[in-house]
Amino acid sequence: MVSLLRTLRSIRRVGLKEWYRQMWYIGDAKSGRLVGTDSFGNRYYENLNAEEEVPGRHRWVDLAQHDYNATQVPPEWHSWLHNIRLLAPPEDPKMLEARPKWIGTHIENLTGTRGAYRPYNTAAPKMWAWEPKVAPRQSSSQTQ
Amino acid sequence: MFPALRLGVRAPVAVRRAVAAQRLAVMQRRTLASPAQEEHKPTKQSDVAMNIDPYKGGPSAIDKAVHMFFFTEIVRGMWIVLENFFRPPYTIMYPFEKGPLSPRFRGEHALRRYPNGEERCIACKLCEAICPAQAITIESEARADGSRRTTKYDIDMTKCIYCGFCQEACPVDAIVESQNQEFSTETREELLYNKEKLLANGDRMEPELAANLYSDHVYR
Repeated sequence: MVSLLRTLRSIRRVGLKEWYRQMWYIGDAKSGRLVGTDSFGNRYYENLNAEEEVPGRHRWVDLAQHDYNATQVPPEWHSWLHNIRLLAPPEDPKMLEARPKWIGTHIENLTGTRGAYRPYNTAAPKMWAWEPKVAPRQSSSQTQ
Repeated sequence: MFPALRLGVRAPVAVRRAVAAQRLAVMQRRTLASPAQEEHKPTKQSDVAMNIDPYKGGPSAIDKAVHMFFFTEIVRGMWIVLENFFRPPYTIMYPFEKGPLSPRFRGEHALRRYPNGEERCIACKLCEAICPAQAITIESEARADGSRRTTKYDIDMTKCIYCGFCQEACPVDAIVESQNQEFSTETREELLYNKEKLLANGDRMEPELAANLYSDHVYR
């Protein structure tokens, strides 16, 4: 249960449908500025008004997938969500500058699925099993 | 030695009376729960009253009886509960909201690349040497172009104690600890990271890692 005034204010701002979704996922009626959306469709919000959101709960994500998971947030937004960076990735000059063209696509933690990481050896093997080779037998006419 | 043996030696009556009067005065003071203090001559009537009535200025007996019989303390406690019931909760709803982290936070490892895509690690094995848990295993070989690179860079994340010595030892900022703490796995073998996995981590997180290194570069 939350502050009645805060709940009603948030419902009025986000609408009944969005509030219903929030109650299914975040479990709390929250309203704030939409800061951005990542490539997976996760939406990131911020509300810096300490009267409306308790400081520490002022940044949140609305995850796109129903089967949600904390690792579905890509690293740039992860940095913003954890309050490591002040600015959101699309506005952060350092983040934009350090974005190389060989950047890999983000994959969520796939443990427990078929896509889970399996360790393997990256070095060439140094030992091989003995492969017995039989010397070709000389013909009987030559031995006699 | 024994007082009973000294029956003949008794203090004079005047002395005994003085001692008894003093004891009575002390007993009266203690019984009324007033602080033990120096004897002083009371000057005003109010001073006398203060010494006699320690509950002066407190709640009256009727007040206390009313509070006791109407359970006002319980009602006040329940009111505090009710107030907090309607306050916004301080609980951080974890997968959606997260607590603050430092750019120096030491989480999952990653191997970085230079902006042109060349891997940074030069197989100097300083991280392997300094690792107190001996979690890192490195094998190196000269590449076709003559530069020395690792063929094997394994980190046993189950051994790692996340001390950060490897990233401090690294002369080329190749091995870093990212701020990712959500790499828990269902099986133990998934935590035996090899070079490919670490490079893939670095490729994913490069903007975040570079921004963190930049934000701390003046202190390094």
